[in-house]
Amino acid sequence: MKALVIDDSRVMRRIVGGILTDVGFDVVEAGDGKEALDRLEEHDDVQLCCIDWNMPVMTGFEFVVEARKRDEWRDITLMMVTTEGEQNQIVRALAAGAHEYVIKPFTPDIIIDKLQFLGLVEAKETL
Amino acid sequence: MTVTTNWEVLADPDPVFAVAEDLFTTMIDGEPGHLMRWYGERPAILHPTYTWVDVVGAGDEARVLISMGRDTGEDLARILFDLEDDAPVAETDFADAVGELVNVVGGNVKSLVTHPGALTMPEVSDEMPTLADASPVVDACVTWRGALLCVSLWVLNEDPSSRS
Repeated sequence: MKALVIDDSRVMRRIVGGILTDVGFDVVEAGDGKEALDRLEEHDDVQLCCIDWNMPVMTGFEFVVEARKRDEWRDITLMMVTTEGEQNQIVRALAAGAHEYVIKPFTPDIIIDKLQFLGLVEAKETL
Repeated sequence: MTVTTNWEVLADPDPVFAVAEDLFTTMIDGEPGHLMRWYGERPAILHPTYTWVDVVGAGDEARVLISMGRDTGEDLARILFDLEDDAPVAETDFADAVGELVNVVGGNVKSLVTHPGALTMPEVSDEMPTLADASPVVDACVTWRGALLCVSLWVLNEDPSSRS
């Protein structure tokens, strides 16, 4: 499994990438939406994008809109990971084609729970 | 259409403290209890660093500003980058880490009001940004591992050229 982590903050790419690596993803990174589109052109096996909203050059929202125009990327799961917590922003992102929404700050468990819900990692066994 | 952003609802420092506490609990310490509210007169912060984001583009514009000592910022950067306790912190990593902290605080504070607008990119400086004619809404301090950090929210004036 391969994931693309899109955030202009290197420390946030490290944190999100570390969580994804721990659950079995190979991780590639991009610092803005435009760079992310380039990464998707290079890596045709990306299954998940974790996307910050506020970035220079191209925002995460603009990236979602652009990515959803491409048929060959329709199976990629798009998950916003952002400080944008207003209800209208969440609705805009989901309407544009994002599948899930995580508001920073987050714990690893929050990310993993979302991935389980999306069927990208196996659910934890319950006792 | 003119919109009004009700920043004044944040005059009570409790919501801002809650945002900061959530950030430190989830992404810094991994557990609650390390962030304490500071009451009373605040001591001067040695070798201060300032990091801020503005909320612009709708209603009254505002600035969320965090001030902390350089050493505190470096400690936070080491945690976020998973560095050794005494490892040097590159300037770019320092700015990235403390800038992301104010980005998270600013985004969450923004979500507490109506018609807030958009966040700018974080800025980091060892100089206090100009806040000419800005009105303070809240200015609250906490201690983290004994070091003082202050979070303030300012409603900005209408002339962007007077800001830094």
